[in-house]
Amino acid sequence: MNMLEICHISKRFGDKQVLRDVDFTVPEHAVYGFVGQNGAGKTTTMKLVLGLLAADSGEILVNGEKVSFGENPVNRYIGYLPDVPEFYPYMTAAEYLNFCGAITGMDLQECKKRTEEMLALVGLAGEKHRIRGFSRGMKQRLGIAQALLNRPKLLICDEPTSALDPVGRKEILDILVSAKEQTTVLFSTHILSDVEKICEQFAFLHEGKILRQGSMEEMRKSCGQAGFEIELEREQDAAKLLRQFPEGIQRGGAYVYYEPGKGQQMEAVLAWILGEGMRIRKAEKCGLTLEALFMEVVGK
Amino acid sequence: MKTGIAFWKKEWMDLVRSGKAFLLLLISAVFGVMNPAIAKLTPWLMEIMSESLQETGLRVTEVEVDALTSWAQFYKNMPMELLVVVLLLCGIFVQEYQRGTLVLALTKGLSRRSVYLAKTLMCVLTWSMCFWMSFFITWMYNSYYWDDGIISNLWTAAVLFWLFGIWIFLAMVFFSAVAKEIFGVLAGTGMVLLISYVAGMFPKIQNYLPTKLLEAQTLLTESAVPEDFYPAVITAVLLAAAAGLTGMIVFERKRI
Ligand SMILES: Nc1ncnc2c1ncn2[C@@H]1O[C@H](COP(=O)(O)OP(=O)(O)OP(=O)(O)O)[C@@H](O)[C@H]1O
Ligand SMILES: [Mg+2]
Repeated sequence: MNMLEICHISKRFGDKQVLRDVDFTVPEHAVYGFVGQNGAGKTTTMKLVLGLLAADSGEILVNGEKVSFGENPVNRYIGYLPDVPEFYPYMTAAEYLNFCGAITGMDLQECKKRTEEMLALVGLAGEKHRIRGFSRGMKQRLGIAQALLNRPKLLICDEPTSALDPVGRKEILDILVSAKEQTTVLFSTHILSDVEKICEQFAFLHEGKILRQGSMEEMRKSCGQAGFEIELEREQDAAKLLRQFPEGIQRGGAYVYYEPGKGQQMEAVLAWILGEGMRIRKAEKCGLTLEALFMEVVGK
Repeated sequence: MKTGIAFWKKEWMDLVRSGKAFLLLLISAVFGVMNPAIAKLTPWLMEIMSESLQETGLRVTEVEVDALTSWAQFYKNMPMELLVVVLLLCGIFVQEYQRGTLVLALTKGLSRRSVYLAKTLMCVLTWSMCFWMSFFITWMYNSYYWDDGIISNLWTAAVLFWLFGIWIFLAMVFFSAVAKEIFGVLAGTGMVLLISYVAGMFPKIQNYLPTKLLEAQTLLTESAVPEDFYPAVITAVLLAAAAGLTGMIVFERKRI
């Protein structure tokens, strides 16, 4: 079953066409990566799903129900983390989560229990201060806690990791992955490695159009064999290597790149290098990454 | 309903923790005490003044103060209190639009109607509490110091002025649903007040305008009878209800 269906959505602001015929579906229990550059229209798409903006054409279904602009009852299925979440500054984190529980009709006992669970999950358990004094990262964590609080069927996160340090980023990605048991996750980002790490499916949005979408597996398969690159310590060694395996391309100094599909196996080349007693600085398999694909699709 | 009450509790927390609740209580108390105090001090002030006036040759006759002097002060000061309460509450919607705090509540499925009603109720209650607190304080002092028996229609006059405040607040709520900034809210509310005021210059419709309610104090001395105010009461109630309802419709389709 599809948790979210976006059918041929278009949206313009004034004379600016922001979304053109955007069309994709997110199946239940998926972690779906929504990738695009700044200004591609990711946030706009999400706001359309939440009924915060009105689409010019097309329709959106969440859990099989149609989204309407303004008063949007479908929102009860959704947990949303905006790109810059804003809270009431005079509350503490726990008070805010209790408030969120109460306005979604949770009973008091359940609300208290969930609040504690969520605060522990995002690492804000001991935080007694008011939100007024929170850092951006702390707000982002609280944002995730409030989005997950009432066990939404669809979790929409707008760049959930953008304000976080590397450790925090990993924590949040882990939370998103573990959330997938109970919910469906749609998250936007421009950090492609995050998508590679946790998403089964993705869509590329570029200038308001979906340029590519599909599962990560298909993407990896379609990209075929990987090339590799080797960086040696000394330049003369690189020259020797190229004499032995002339398919390589020298890219400045002791840096040699072998394109995929030219018949050279990385293992064979490395074995020869070790046999010669050369020193290696770096050896890396360059799978066709999402980044490379993105660059190709975007045409840069 | 339950979820609406939860949101309404948040409004209280906002009022208390922002310090506005304290300020409102203080102001209402001051406005309540001020009226009898001014009345009480008038003779004394006159005496001091008369000494200096005598030198210029003017004679000041003894001034008589009674409950009426104090109530006259009350009706003179209440528009000021109304203005202060409006200024303290005019951001109740707009501030949330600008901060973006409503987004999270609404995207959880809290109905917009609940939000709107909670905030409207908040305005109505706050105004009522402030007004009646000032009223009771003035009333207590007045009946302690003077004979309240000379006052006619004491309660009717108070209810009329209170109703005027309700009308203003519903206009404010309506413009809060329409506008995006504080300026829009204040300009809209001010404009409505101005229109009613200017229209009052035409004697034919004068009695039908909500601003007529500002003359409630004429009831105290029986220079007017309650019946004179009935048309104005009806328009004020109808306009307030219409503002409240259309505001709700606008709010349900507002881009937040
Ligand atoms: N309220 C608005 N009025 C006019 N234009 C808008 C509005 N909101 C967004 N836009 C425009 O729509 C385009 C897409 O914006 P959007 O916020 O959806 O991008 P995004 O993909 O989320 O970018 P980012 O990665 O920077 O968050 C931008 O060019 C922006 O200028
Ligand atoms: Mg964005």
